[in-house]
Amino acid sequence: MFLDLAQNTLDGLARGSAYALLALGFTLVFGVLRRVNLSYGPAIMLGCYLATWASMAIHANLILLLAVSVAGTVLAGAYVERLCFAPHRKGSAIAAMVASFALWMQLEELAVLALPRHLYAFPALYEGSPLQFLGLTLRVESGVMIVVAAGVCVALRRTLYHSKFGLAVRAAVENPVAASLAGISLPGVFVRVFAVASALGGLAGFLISATHEQVTPMLGMWSTLKGLLAMMLGGLGSLPGAVIGGLALGLVEAHSQWFFGPQLRDLIAYLLLFLLLAMRPRWMTTQSAS
Amino acid sequence: MSALLEVKDLVTAYGKIEALRGVSLEVAEGSITCLLGPNGAGKTTLMMTVAGILRAKKGLISFSGKSIASLQPHAIVASGIALVPENRLVFPGMTVIENLRAGAYQRRDDLAGDIERLLGRFPRLKERSEQLAGTLSGGEQQMLVVARALMSRPRLLLMDEPSLGLAPLVVEEIFRIIAELHRDGVSIFLVEQNAHMALKVAQHFYLIEQGRVTFSGDPGSLAEDEVIRRAYLGSAKQ
Repeated sequence: MFLDLAQNTLDGLARGSAYALLALGFTLVFGVLRRVNLSYGPAIMLGCYLATWASMAIHANLILLLAVSVAGTVLAGAYVERLCFAPHRKGSAIAAMVASFALWMQLEELAVLALPRHLYAFPALYEGSPLQFLGLTLRVESGVMIVVAAGVCVALRRTLYHSKFGLAVRAAVENPVAASLAGISLPGVFVRVFAVASALGGLAGFLISATHEQVTPMLGMWSTLKGLLAMMLGGLGSLPGAVIGGLALGLVEAHSQWFFGPQLRDLIAYLLLFLLLAMRPRWMTTQSAS
Repeated sequence: MSALLEVKDLVTAYGKIEALRGVSLEVAEGSITCLLGPNGAGKTTLMMTVAGILRAKKGLISFSGKSIASLQPHAIVASGIALVPENRLVFPGMTVIENLRAGAYQRRDDLAGDIERLLGRFPRLKERSEQLAGTLSGGEQQMLVVARALMSRPRLLLMDEPSLGLAPLVVEEIFRIIAELHRDGVSIFLVEQNAHMALKVAQHFYLIEQGRVTFSGDPGSLAEDEVIRRAYLGSAKQ
C-alpha cells in the first residue's frame, strides 16, 4: 500500500512536470500581457507535427526534432500573436481570447484536413528499460521530464531576476505606464514574452510526444486544457503558482486514477478546480508574475 | 535661448471631451519653465501627451526641431525626454537599484557610475538601495522616481506635481534638487500646484485653464497672489 502511494506520487510528479511546463507558458502570457491564449495548445500541436514530419522525411535525430518542435511552435505562436494579440493590445482582453479560440479551431481543422492520417508516430525519447530503485519504477522519459521542468524553473527565475530582459518584463507587469516612461517598449516586451512562452510550449510538446511516442490532433486541446487548469489551480498569473498547480494536478490525477479508475480521473481534477474557484482561498487571488 | 520643446495648437481628447483645446507653449533650452493651473485644467494631460502615453488629436510637438508627436513613449525617452509622472509611479516590487536600472533601459553603456552618482545626490536612497521600492516613504519614492528619470540622461525633464502630498521639508528638498539639476544643464518643464515655490525657481511660467493657455510671462510679470488665485481657482471670467 505504502509502495503504491509512493509509486503514484512519483508518476504524478512526472505527469505534473509536463503540466507545469505548459502552465508556465500560459502564465507568462497571462501574467505579462493579461491575455488568455487558447491557441497555445494548437500551436504546440503544429510544432510537434512539423517535428514528426522532419523525423519521417529526413530521419532527423532527437536534438534536431527538439529544435523543429520549438521552432515550429514559435512560428505558429507568432501567427497567433499577430492575429489575436497585436491588434488587441489596448483593447478588450475578451476579444483577444475569443480571437485565439477562433484560431484554435482554425489550426485544429488545418491539422485534421492537411494530414491524411490522424495519428503519427513520434520517435521515442528512450528505448531502454525503466529505472528501478527502492521498489519503485521510473520511466527514463519521466525522469527527463522532471529534470527539464526543474531546469526551466531555475532558468526562468534567473532570467527574470538577473537579466535586462527580465527587468523589463517585471517592470511591465508592475506598472505598464511607468515602464513606458522608463523607456521600455511594451510591444517589444510582449512579443518577446510570447516567443519565450511558445518556445517553452515547443519544449513541453516535444517531451510529451516523445513520451507518448505519437502525435494526434488532440494534443492541441489536451495541452490547452491541462495548461489552463494547472494555471488556475496555481492562482492565475504567478509563475511559482503555475509550477505548484501543475504538480498538484499531476498528483491528483495519478492518485485518483489509482483509487477511482481512469474514468473518474479527469472528473476529480475538474471537481477540485470547481471547489477551489468556489472557495477562492487567498493564494488563488494573488496576481504577481514573480 | 532657443526653444527646446515646442507645442503648437495641441488638442488631446478623452473620447469626445477635449482636455486640451489648442495649447501652444515653449520650453527654452536650459530653462525651468513652469505650468500652473487649477485641477482639471489639463496639466497632466499635456505632460502625458508630450511623453507619448496619450495621443494628440491635433497639433504639433517638436523637440529640438524634430517632431515627436507620432513616436512611441520609449522612443521619446530615447530622444532625450523623461517624465516624472504624477502619483509617484515606482515599481513597488523591485529594489531601488532595479528601479534605477529600469530607468536606463534605453542605454547600452555602463550604468554603475551613474547609479553611484545619483545615490550620492539622494543619500536616503543610498541607505535603502537594496530595499523594495514599495517599502519606501512617499518622499523617498518621489526621489526615486526623479532619480529613475535621470538615469535616461534626459535633456528635458518633465515633472508632474513632484511636491504633491509631501511634507514641507521634503518639498524643500525636491525644489533644491530641481535647482541643482538646472545648474547641471538639464532643462525642466514643471507642473506645480505649489505656485509659490514654483515661481521662485522658474524663469518663465504659463497659466492653463480649461485646456487653454491663458497667461504667459516671467515670474515678476503678474502679482503672485493673482497667479495663485488663478492657479487654484481659475479666472472668474471663464
